[in-house]
Amino acid sequence: MATIHLDSVSVDFPIYSFSARSLKKQFLHFTTGGALSSQKDMVVIKALDNITLTLNHGDRVGLIGHNGAGKSTLLRVLAKIYEPIQGHIYCEGSISPLLNIMLGINHESTGYENIMVRGLLLGLTRKQIRIKLNKIAEFTELGDYLFAPVRTYSSGMQLRLAFAVATCIKPEILLMDEMIEVGDAAFIKSAQSHLNEFIGQSSILVLASHSHDTIRRFCNKVVFMEKGRVNYFGPVEEGLKLYETYT
Amino acid sequence: MIHSQPLDFRQGATNDSKYRLAANDIYEGLKKWRIWLLLAWQDTKLRYRRSALGPFWITLSMAVTIYTMGLLYGQLFKMDLPHYYPFLAAGLLSWSLISSLLMEGGSIFLEAEHFIKQAKQPYSVFVFRTVTKCFIFFFHNILVLVPIILFFDVKLNVHTLFIGLSLVIIWINGVIYSVIFAILGTRFRDIVQVINSLIQVIFFLTPIIWLPSVLPEKYQYIIHLNPFAQFMQLLRNPLLGSFPSSYTLVFITLVTLLGCFVAFVVFARYRARIPYWL
Repeated sequence: MATIHLDSVSVDFPIYSFSARSLKKQFLHFTTGGALSSQKDMVVIKALDNITLTLNHGDRVGLIGHNGAGKSTLLRVLAKIYEPIQGHIYCEGSISPLLNIMLGINHESTGYENIMVRGLLLGLTRKQIRIKLNKIAEFTELGDYLFAPVRTYSSGMQLRLAFAVATCIKPEILLMDEMIEVGDAAFIKSAQSHLNEFIGQSSILVLASHSHDTIRRFCNKVVFMEKGRVNYFGPVEEGLKLYETYT
Repeated sequence: MIHSQPLDFRQGATNDSKYRLAANDIYEGLKKWRIWLLLAWQDTKLRYRRSALGPFWITLSMAVTIYTMGLLYGQLFKMDLPHYYPFLAAGLLSWSLISSLLMEGGSIFLEAEHFIKQAKQPYSVFVFRTVTKCFIFFFHNILVLVPIILFFDVKLNVHTLFIGLSLVIIWINGVIYSVIFAILGTRFRDIVQVINSLIQVIFFLTPIIWLPSVLPEKYQYIIHLNPFAQFMQLLRNPLLGSFPSSYTLVFITLVTLLGCFVAFVVFARYRARIPYWL
C-alpha cells in the first residue's frame, strides 16, 4: 500500500544572474573589499510554498494550475529530484517518474542500446531487460530498426520507442507531466489500451495536465495549485469548476 | 500508515544526517556499477561511431602526437633518443589520462542534466561514469607504447606490475577531485574554462617533455612540491620498469587523504543543491 505525505514542504529556486554565476565577478567583489557586492544578484523564486498533502492508495490525482504554478516542481519533489528547503516527505512505495519520455533518448545510439540504458536507469537488470525486449520490439513494431541509430528514425518511431520503454515497468507510484501523446493514427489504438493498463497497475497516480478531458478521464481527485500553494484538493468536477472561475 | 523513516531533506537538517545521506549516495552509486560502466562505455563508443577506423582513432591521434613530438623535442633538446623517447611517450600517455580527468571533472553534472532532472539517481553515478570513461580512453592509448618498448628495448620487469596499483590510486583521486570540481563547476560555470587554461601551465611546469634531471638543484622544488609531477611519477615509472620513489608514495598518500576529507565535506554540504543549480 503506497502512501505519500508532504508536511509543509517549501522549495526556493535561486536565480543567479550571469554575474553571480561567474567566479571572476565574485573574485572582483572580493578584491574591492566587498563594497560592490550586494544581494541584488540573486533572486529567489518561491516555487512551492508550505505544501501539506496526503495521498493514499488508489488516488488518481490530477494537478491543475496555470503555467508556473508549481506543478512540475511538485512532481520533481515527489520524484526526490529536488530535496525541499523546508519540510518533510514521507513516502512508502517505489516511485516511477515519467516526466519527459523523450529526454535522455540518445540519438546516436541504437534503439537497442537506448532500451538497455533506460532499463538499467529504471532499476531493471540486464536479464529482465532481455526478457522484455521481445515485447518492446513487438509493441513498437520497429523490428530490425532497433539495431539502427535512433537518429535514423522518424519522429513517430522515436516516440514509439520512448513510449514502449517508459511503460515496460510496473509502476507503484506513477508521476506524469502531461499525458503521453502518441501521434501516429495506426499506433494510437494499441498505445491507448497499453497506457490504460499501465496506469491501472499503479497504486497512486499524480498527473499534471492542462487538458480537462484528460483529467476527467484518468483522475478521481484534483489538486489545484496557484503560486506554489495548494488552493484546492478534492473531487474532480468542483476543482475544475474552481479552476475555471480563476481563468 | 505512515511509519516509514522520514526522509530528512531540510536544509537545516542536522550535519549528521547530511553526512549520512552523502555516504549513502556514494554507497548506492557504487552498487549501480552496471549503469555507470554502461554509460562510460557508451560515451566511448559514441566518440568513434561513424568513423572508418573505429576505436583506433583514439590511439592513432595519440600515436601521431607522441611520435612527432618525440622526434622534434629529441632534436631540439639534443637528447639521447633511446633514453628520451620512451620517457616522453610514457609521460604524454600518463598526462593524457591526468589532463582528461581534470578537463572533464568540472562539467560532470552539467552533462548529466537530462538524467538528473528526470529521475533520482545517486549523484556519484555520474562521477564514476566520467572518471571511468577517461580510463577507457587511456587503455586505448596505451597501445601506442608497444612499438616504442619493442624498438628501444625498454626493460620491463616486476616493477611494471605496480601500474595496477597506480591506476587504482589515480582512479580514486580522479573520483575525489572530480567531485569537488563538478560541484564547483555546476555552481560557477567558468570553472571549466579556468581549469582548461591552468592545464596548459601545469603541462609546462611538470616534467613531461623535459627530464627532471635537467632542472638545476635549486629549482628542484618545482618538482618536489608539484602534485602533478608526483602523479606523473606514479604512473610513468612503472611503465618504464621502475618503482616510484618513496617520497612520491608518501606525498600521494597525503594528497589522497586530504582530498577524501575535503571532497566528502563538500559533497555532503552541497549535494542537495546540485539540481537547483542546473
